[in-house]
Amino acid sequence: MSDAGGVPRKALDSPGVPGALAAPRPMLALPAPDIVHFAGVSKTYEDGYTAIHDVSFTVEDTPNHMEIIGVLGPSGCGKSTVLRLIAGLTPQHPATTGVVEVMGRPVTGPGPDRGFVFQDYTSFDNRTVADNIAFGLECSGVPNEERTALAREWISKVGLNVDRDANKYPHQLSGGMRQRVALARTLILKPRVILMDEPFGALDPRTRFAMQDLLVTLCREVEATCFLVTHSIEEAVHVSDRLYIFSSAPGTILKEMKIPPSARAAHLRQREPEFIETVFEVRDLIETLDVSTKAGD
Amino acid sequence: MTAPARPAPWLALRELPPPLVRRAAGVVTVLLVLVVWALLTRGATAESRAISPTVLPSPFEVLRSFPVLLTERNLVGSIAASMQRVLLGFGLAAIIAVPLGIAAGSYRLVDAASQPISVFMRNVPVAALIPLTLQAFGVGELQKVMFLFLATAPFLFHEVARAVALVDDRYVDTAQTLGARPRQIVSKVLIALAAPSIYGALRANFGMAFGYVMLAEVVDARAGLGFLLLQSQRRGLPEHLLATLLVIGLLAWLIDQTFRFFGRGFFPYLKAGE
Ligand SMILES: Nc1ncnc2c1ncn2[C@@H]1O[C@H](COP(=O)(O)OP(=O)(O)O)[C@@H](O)[C@H]1O
Ligand SMILES: [Mg+2]
Repeated sequence: MSDAGGVPRKALDSPGVPGALAAPRPMLALPAPDIVHFAGVSKTYEDGYTAIHDVSFTVEDTPNHMEIIGVLGPSGCGKSTVLRLIAGLTPQHPATTGVVEVMGRPVTGPGPDRGFVFQDYTSFDNRTVADNIAFGLECSGVPNEERTALAREWISKVGLNVDRDANKYPHQLSGGMRQRVALARTLILKPRVILMDEPFGALDPRTRFAMQDLLVTLCREVEATCFLVTHSIEEAVHVSDRLYIFSSAPGTILKEMKIPPSARAAHLRQREPEFIETVFEVRDLIETLDVSTKAGD
Repeated sequence: MTAPARPAPWLALRELPPPLVRRAAGVVTVLLVLVVWALLTRGATAESRAISPTVLPSPFEVLRSFPVLLTERNLVGSIAASMQRVLLGFGLAAIIAVPLGIAAGSYRLVDAASQPISVFMRNVPVAALIPLTLQAFGVGELQKVMFLFLATAPFLFHEVARAVALVDDRYVDTAQTLGARPRQIVSKVLIALAAPSIYGALRANFGMAFGYVMLAEVVDARAGLGFLLLQSQRRGLPEHLLATLLVIGLLAWLIDQTFRFFGRGFFPYLKAGE
């Protein structure tokens, strides 16, 4: 379940630039810091409600293997709370107790090294697709020409049409297209960690399959570790290398599960017997966990 | 027996008629009012009319008064005088209230600090500001400008602050995870996303200021539309009074349409042009 205790955290004074952390430092043979590390994290909101209790997990840095971590659990069990704690977003941040570390350093607030894709559409209505995607670059002072070129590149990487879509405004886009923009806007900054909170929850099944495959491809391309919160067990099993299953309130991680890799497209793979078997395995697991937590009350 | 003719679908409850029908309906109403007005004020002598001309002159008398208003009563100069006051008073209010409103919408502390004065100022009856401004600024132009400033700034402040505060947190969260710093969030997210509402507040409050200027001008003015109204009443020229009122209504509408026109240019990304 949790592998928090025991091993002392590695002290590593990394450079302050986000994204520069992954670079190996040949002079010092220190092992790379863990990507994300939670130790005994609890969050009690202002109103006294404890959303998560004693959550511990570690996502180690494994070179050349960028993980996608699926997060499953009933509504209200604290999945968003965990993701927002990693992102450093208020009011979830700071944690009431425990340690939240990303790349070996405590999280002090939000930053572009941890991208976030929300379920709600968050395109800036006043900006075109290209300007939405270039937002982060604009904030960090990348010159106009350079960021426009990069934005155009990312428009096609997420499967939109540069000529047709670059100058559209968000209200002219479908839900799927908006989430493509949201993905591009986050990925263009090459974040080390990408947090996705039910990003495809509002999309129709066909669009959803396409987005799942896009997600896997792009997360590998930018070499980011992704957390994907989803309600769909199929989606979680398809995209994830690892699954975290949460219990209901107050949330805690009940089970961690490795998923064997597959290179097949979502709509094909999700018909394979092995895949379906894994999905049922996860479903059974959630049910037994549900029963055992209730029995324990 | 033939089947009963089916009524047009837009006669049904809450159905939207085609644009042409809607426009025609408006025109018909106006014509109806004009006809009733003409009938009620028909008659060669004052005694033969249903309504005495001192109460309500006929539409033709009102129409005939326009040349006189233009040549002898300085209608254009009055419009200019009123507009100048509105532009100065409202401009001052905008320069001060919009940045303050943005600050209050962005920082809760500024909002908390502004609350008592903001609430108080919005609850002072506008008419009560007239003696105050007369006392403080005399009877000249300054008094009228300051009156308009005091009458509109608190509302403008309040509406701008609310527009900025209502920008959903999820946009701020998004911007933060994309590396935006607080200043950038204010300019690129809060102001940018609240801009259509801020513009709407400017549009509405300019309309209010244009209404209030009449109030300022019936108290000791030497020019302006309000002054024209008062003079017409004092001199017993009800047709001038009505004609001036028509001009004021038309002007208010024109101003609003101008705002609307530019709004469409400023915010091409809004679905509806409103
Ligand atoms: N800002 C908040 N204040 C108080 N309670 C909150 C707040 N945010 C979330 N909660 C509560 O914490 C619990 C976990 O929320 P959340 O992390 O959003 O769950 P999930 O994403 O798994 O559905 C829920 O019961 C929710 O009502
Ligand atoms: Mg959630």
